[in-house]
Amino acid sequence: MNTRIQAATRQIDGPLLKVTDLRTHFRTERGLVRSVDGVSFSLDRGKALGIVGESGSGKTVLSRSIMGLLPSRNTERSGSVIFEGAEIIDRSLKERRKIWGREMSMIFQDPMTSLNPVMRVGKQISEGLSIHLGMDKQNARETALKLLYDVRIPEPEKRLDQYAFELSGGMRQRVMIAIALACGPTILFADEPTTALDVTVQAQILELIGDQRRDRNMSVILVTHDLGVVAGHTDEIAVMYGGKLVEKAPTRTLFANMKMPYTEALLRSIPNIEDPSHTRLNVITGRPPDLVNPPQGCRFSPRCEYVQPKCVTEEPPLLTAEHLDHVYACWYPVGSPVYREKRAQLDRQGSGATVGAV
Amino acid sequence: MAGSGKAHLRDSGDVLLRVEDLVVEFPVGRTGLKVHAVSGISFDVMRGETLGVVGESGCGKSTTGKAMMMLPRPNSGSVVFEGTELTNLPADEMRAARTRMQMIFQDPISSLNPRRKVRDIVREPLIIWKRGSSAEQLSRVDKLLEEVGIDPQRAAESQAHQFSGGQCQRISIARSLVLDPTMIICDEPVSALDVSVQAQVLNLLEDLKAKYGLTLVFIAHDLAVVKNISDRVQVMYLGKICEVAPSNSMYTTPAHHYTKLLLDSIPVPNPDVAVAKVTVQGEPPSPVLPPPGCRFNPRCPAADDRCRTEEPQVRQVADGHFVACHHPLFGGDAPVSVTTV
Amino acid sequence: MSDIEIVEDDVSLIVPIIDEAGSPKVRVRRRGRVTKWLAIGWLTFIVVSAIGANSLPYINHSCDQFESKLDCSTALNGSLKKIELPPTWAFFADPPKEPVGGGATHVGIMGTDRNGYDIFARAMLGARPSLTIAGLAITFGLAIATILGMIAGYFRGWVDVLIENITNVLLAFPALLLVIFCVTFFTDNTQSAASARPLWPIILALVIVSIPPLTRLVRANTISYAQRDFVVAARSLGAKGSRIMFKEILPNIVPALVSFALTGLALLIVAEGALAFLGLSVEAPTPTWGKMISAGTERLRNDVWWISLMPALTMFLTVLSINLLGDVLSQRFNTREAIA
Repeated sequence: MNTRIQAATRQIDGPLLKVTDLRTHFRTERGLVRSVDGVSFSLDRGKALGIVGESGSGKTVLSRSIMGLLPSRNTERSGSVIFEGAEIIDRSLKERRKIWGREMSMIFQDPMTSLNPVMRVGKQISEGLSIHLGMDKQNARETALKLLYDVRIPEPEKRLDQYAFELSGGMRQRVMIAIALACGPTILFADEPTTALDVTVQAQILELIGDQRRDRNMSVILVTHDLGVVAGHTDEIAVMYGGKLVEKAPTRTLFANMKMPYTEALLRSIPNIEDPSHTRLNVITGRPPDLVNPPQGCRFSPRCEYVQPKCVTEEPPLLTAEHLDHVYACWYPVGSPVYREKRAQLDRQGSGATVGAV
Repeated sequence: MAGSGKAHLRDSGDVLLRVEDLVVEFPVGRTGLKVHAVSGISFDVMRGETLGVVGESGCGKSTTGKAMMMLPRPNSGSVVFEGTELTNLPADEMRAARTRMQMIFQDPISSLNPRRKVRDIVREPLIIWKRGSSAEQLSRVDKLLEEVGIDPQRAAESQAHQFSGGQCQRISIARSLVLDPTMIICDEPVSALDVSVQAQVLNLLEDLKAKYGLTLVFIAHDLAVVKNISDRVQVMYLGKICEVAPSNSMYTTPAHHYTKLLLDSIPVPNPDVAVAKVTVQGEPPSPVLPPPGCRFNPRCPAADDRCRTEEPQVRQVADGHFVACHHPLFGGDAPVSVTTV
Repeated sequence: MSDIEIVEDDVSLIVPIIDEAGSPKVRVRRRGRVTKWLAIGWLTFIVVSAIGANSLPYINHSCDQFESKLDCSTALNGSLKKIELPPTWAFFADPPKEPVGGGATHVGIMGTDRNGYDIFARAMLGARPSLTIAGLAITFGLAIATILGMIAGYFRGWVDVLIENITNVLLAFPALLLVIFCVTFFTDNTQSAASARPLWPIILALVIVSIPPLTRLVRANTISYAQRDFVVAARSLGAKGSRIMFKEILPNIVPALVSFALTGLALLIVAEGALAFLGLSVEAPTPTWGKMISAGTERLRNDVWWISLMPALTMFLTVLSINLLGDVLSQRFNTREAIA
């Protein structure tokens, strides 16, 4: 462990990562797809941030946009991404390559397609070490072996000379994590890292990511659709909807006191293991917004149970709740008088039938 | 895990489907090795019941679902559906029998032909079986599409890729209902969908089940989803059955160590529920060379020598609660049998 | 780090959200729109000119274009005055001989050949056998390959092994030998050389050559679709094998086949040219591109380049256009797949 490589830890005041009004739009034949539309947040060193949203909410594009991993053609990107005190949004591809792997790295949903099928596992891990850190072959191989121990892969010596197809899904994801950790990044982006894995393996991988984060004082951005996954493994949660950040709070605060009706509805639509069988599920009617022609006003308003005239016309800004680190974008948040009134009214009607709700 | 045995099969009541000693194996290339996908399982489904089948990838749950429809025919075992033995039916009679038993798949988009109009896809079964006149067929198709929440007009003009995942799953459901089946096998029907859409589809399945008096076999890896929709749940591991129990008692008092592991692994959307330290490492071994004895023994915290040699048999540990384990979490150790299996 | 690469055109990132009313297809902007239309334009031009070759106001030595035999021979005599004249735009090229009886020293957009026939008119006339041979060969080849490939890919088992062996045998047989065999064996040598040699032996040869690769393509595509859930769904609804093959699978593999067939067509046009060079194509006097090119090669030494080069350019542009079109189609097909 003593030979583990750590990124140079320059001491800089303020957050490790500060994203301000980041926009990422794609030009398509249908028009401009506003996948990320003005997102701001900051992340401290060593913290884990969960980005939660449904498909098409912009969560994956957001993480790739921060890293600068998106193709430049047909993409419009604006705003500011300040990493360790330096603006990185306008860096050239060559400069960005220096950041990838060494400062920021990413693990993906499908470990099979993100590993090179014709290269031995050991070679894939040591490649980054020799390119970024100029290690010689022997040294890189030893470090690769150490990394495999770190990610708790069974029989690491044997794995060095195996190919991805010879490994199980969980082991492949461990290899991906080893590659991502190889050069000691300061931020690890994990994009749905456990969605393709079985539930018992998912728990192991999440625990591994958490342990590595604490050991290395690394920040983690965990992108997922699963509120259950973020609940246990993050310090803060950002909820995205229709390309916007709609609520962000420390994990406990969010679950204890959620403000945004979308967050509440999302949580309530998950079947709860504590409930008896055949408990009627709460649904969010309709579908996520079209990012080419997003709805006027609040983007969730067409699907919101508590919608008011103001929601349809005026877009809510990010407001601060009782806790200063809790922000939300809603005119009539959960617990407000208007919300309570509408809730009582809905309860009197009884939650209606939901068949054909799309 | 577990095990063989038929202690959990029911003799009384309206049994719609009874599967006994089902075995499905696939050759591995030309190596002479076999994937033991399903290794002699037995179960039954009552009319009007929802049976949940849960397990991790490679446990044989999807293979079981397909084998019930003889897609492909199992290597051995018996599948009796509505009193008819399906495994030895001639091809033509089997085609007819399949119309009584339908299937919904995991990938909503891949299960619809991308080159055909959605309304034609739903109508196809009626054309194959020449049911009714053209007008009758269309009116039935439109009625079902409306019932699952799809605009028939749009369905007539559009192909599958013009609908969202949730809508495609609704279309699949409409197609499965068009021949008026008795039973629907749902193979991971909501795992490709967003949570908000997942809830819509689950509620829809419950409503349609009530309306058409359907019997469901619901195959999934998500325990919370399975619990929500099922009356009885069957946990599978490496081609064998671990535990069969009524949905509620399975989740409150699991008897099998594997069921407990599964339940403990579910990420609960509540930060106050401490994340349990992972106690069982590793992954299911390859179904090509399954371990002898109880198939869960290499990962089981309670495994002893008996588990490594003797295969546990399904037995009852509480009312309606069956487990295939020598040392279950409750109900006492299995009696030592004279002949080991 | 090999795992972090920018993927151009990563369509999967731009999740298509489809609005209630419409059926918009999300597609990123692509290059090659102009070239696509240029290619279509050129091919249309070739096909129309080939059909109307006899109405072109040039002498191409096909008496079909004249009212009577007399008109024809008059015209042919007239053409003798214009032997080997360079194209009008080639101001830098001198004719090897002054035209008999004076007159223009540069004629037509492609010049004239050693008989004084207009090369452009003959190139258009030559497009007929070239395109017919290649087009018919690819059509028949595709039809046979589709049936064989789908049967092999859908049923697998011993049928698959049998068909695989047949295609292997066909592949192992030297293509050129096969063509020489077909052409010499099936041609009636007792007829006079002037009567046109039939097209079908050469088409047959090219069909046989094109079957193995096309069969493999169809088989591979069929296998990948046969495993999709919608095919399993069709089986579970009680559909028979033939119905599944033709109603469920075939419509899905057609786009791949069409784009591949275009590449095949281009290859076969070139192949026909090569055969003509070897004297194995249709008999004189019908011109084909290959024959025109080969006829002009001996004159290259005397700086008479247009006789060879102009038909070669025609063939080149045609083959290029077909390939471009094939590219456009396969790109379209891939994008559809990525989104669907």
